[in-house]
Amino acid sequence: MKNFIELLRNEWNSYSKNTQIALYVLFGLSALFVIFAIQILFWGLGYTDMNNNFAMGLWIIGDLGLVALGGGAFFTGFLLYILRVDKLNPLINSTVLLGFMCYLFTFILLVFDIGQPLRAWFGYAYPNWGPGLLPISMLTEVVWCLTLYFCVLCVELIPIPLKHKIMDNIPFFRYFGHYLHKLMWIMAAVGTFLSFFHQGSLGGGMWGVLYGKPVWFRPHYFFLAIVAATAGGTAFMMLIPKIAGKIMKKEVAPKETFMTLARISGVMFVFYLIFRLYDLYSLTVKYVPLADRSYADILGGYYGWWVVIAELLLCLVPIVVFNVAKLREREKYYMAGLIAGVSAISMSKVEAVLHGFSVPNFPWKGFTVYNPTIQEWFIFLGSLAIMTLVYMWFARYLPLFPHLHKGGHGDNKAHT
Amino acid sequence: MSGQEAPKKKVSDMKRLWGMSIDLDKCTGCGACQVACSQENNMPIFEDDSDLPKRVVFLDLMKVTNEMDKGAKFGDVKVAYLPKMCMQCAGNDPDNPYPPCVSVCPVVATDIGDDGVVSQIWSRCIGCRYCQASCPYEARVFHWWKPVYEGSFKEGLNPDVSVSSRGAVVKCTFCSHIWKRERDRMIAKGITDINAVQYTPSCVSSCPTGAMKFGDLKDPRSPVYEEKLRRDPRAVRLVHSIDELRDTNPAEYDRRMKIKQFPNPKVWYLTGSEWLRKKLSVFEKS
Repeated sequence: MKNFIELLRNEWNSYSKNTQIALYVLFGLSALFVIFAIQILFWGLGYTDMNNNFAMGLWIIGDLGLVALGGGAFFTGFLLYILRVDKLNPLINSTVLLGFMCYLFTFILLVFDIGQPLRAWFGYAYPNWGPGLLPISMLTEVVWCLTLYFCVLCVELIPIPLKHKIMDNIPFFRYFGHYLHKLMWIMAAVGTFLSFFHQGSLGGGMWGVLYGKPVWFRPHYFFLAIVAATAGGTAFMMLIPKIAGKIMKKEVAPKETFMTLARISGVMFVFYLIFRLYDLYSLTVKYVPLADRSYADILGGYYGWWVVIAELLLCLVPIVVFNVAKLREREKYYMAGLIAGVSAISMSKVEAVLHGFSVPNFPWKGFTVYNPTIQEWFIFLGSLAIMTLVYMWFARYLPLFPHLHKGGHGDNKAHT
Repeated sequence: MSGQEAPKKKVSDMKRLWGMSIDLDKCTGCGACQVACSQENNMPIFEDDSDLPKRVVFLDLMKVTNEMDKGAKFGDVKVAYLPKMCMQCAGNDPDNPYPPCVSVCPVVATDIGDDGVVSQIWSRCIGCRYCQASCPYEARVFHWWKPVYEGSFKEGLNPDVSVSSRGAVVKCTFCSHIWKRERDRMIAKGITDINAVQYTPSCVSSCPTGAMKFGDLKDPRSPVYEEKLRRDPRAVRLVHSIDELRDTNPAEYDRRMKIKQFPNPKVWYLTGSEWLRKKLSVFEKS
């Protein structure tokens, strides 16, 4: 025991002062996550002080954001294993881990959001599937696709810890990892198929089918969410390793890898912006007037125009940076493109939820104001903190970035 | 029971389509309907029931006023009270006539029967509130707290209605438990034709001015015969101005009635006041 404490102390002292402060913050947020998780799961959602005006909490924005950004895992896997863009290989482990955590926490946040967590399994036992192959409820599809895709991500993730030098010395694990790796293209294909559906469902279809609500209804929302995931997801899959590289002061993947993915992300952002502009146009002239409303009037209150404009402006940054070689090669612009890209897709989810719930349903009511409660904030931030800690742990102790272990580039400083 | 074996009936033999009309010109806003509804459906009373966004009621008495309208100065301000419950939407798509809430439930906790009543199985609900998000009439409420029944209140609970648990979405079901009770009573008398059964929800039976009427929308003898309501210039349905188009623009009315994006509620409001009819159905466009 004494040795173990000594080991931990040495480990802690090996970190820089800044890392120690960051770890204090992350552990603190994680602890608050646990405290409020116990409160919500044991005593109910009433204690969050949420109400029927804004029936879904901040964590639903987190949920939608995590799915969209984690969707980069399926798209990157698809590019690498199916389209054979081999340059992306150095990032794939990080991508799989990010995808795994995003989906894991989507599940966890969904459990917090339902009023009856003990009945969470009803989604499997009594699904609203209907007689055909297509499910009736989008949430049913989400539950099933998330589960199956999460299983795929588990299979994709297992080879990473198995490549650790201790595990790799055990022949069974070495061969097991090796053969799992051989199956990756099948997993990538299955994952792409499953992810395609649940991206659409949770990201857009879930809201697009609410035909009683003019603020949400549009039949193409399903596909818009898929494009959003391919654009924002790829930006997210670059942003996190890039930050990790900056903290570790190492080149975690070759610059060529980042540039290849940036080019793809840039093209996807162009598609996304065109689709989103069409989306806004169709809402204005077609779908919102069906409900005797005007889209301009719906974009009122605190979460109206500025959210949409901010999203569109943020979208322009990765489009310009990633599609112009000179700009994307410059580190500062490149980072700005990544941050703006991830923010743009997150903002689109903020718009869907905040805007959707704040719009009045009756002509004699005003826009609703939303103040997330302390529980919503800390469950949301705590989730992000735990994900960060897990990623940090993987980056430090497991072969998350194979490029670092290949020698040569590993000890080099990050490109600046 | 009469001892005779009841002939097997298909569900599709149901010919009733329950609906409601509320005459706002007769409504005094006394709140008897709300109290009766809460009592009938075992609604809990919480310590602070002034917390409106968290309150659990099936029937909400909403205050509608032109106070915020331009030009409504002192003396011109008008007020009406609107008993608002689940609108029991029929849906408008002939191929997929679901209310907005039914098709979104991931666990089939809500469904629409061929009598037109949108059900809600409290013990099946997982409390995801997706139906609540989809409802354009804010008719569904979430049970944020564990229901508490103070003192002797517990003795007055209705044995026909289960006590809802914390963490489930609840809503008005047109007191369908009364209909089931009446149906059982008829069967006990040997009458097995379910179409012979009539009933009255508690809000309607408690209304002192007779402003609320309930019945079969398909029955010409019913006080809420749908064809008659459609022709009534005083009739209006919440939020949509679609009914106004029937006379002014029949072609557009037919087109809109074929579009899926209309929940087609089965609760009609009646009023001769132009401002109120406009307020209920039309959003001011800038």
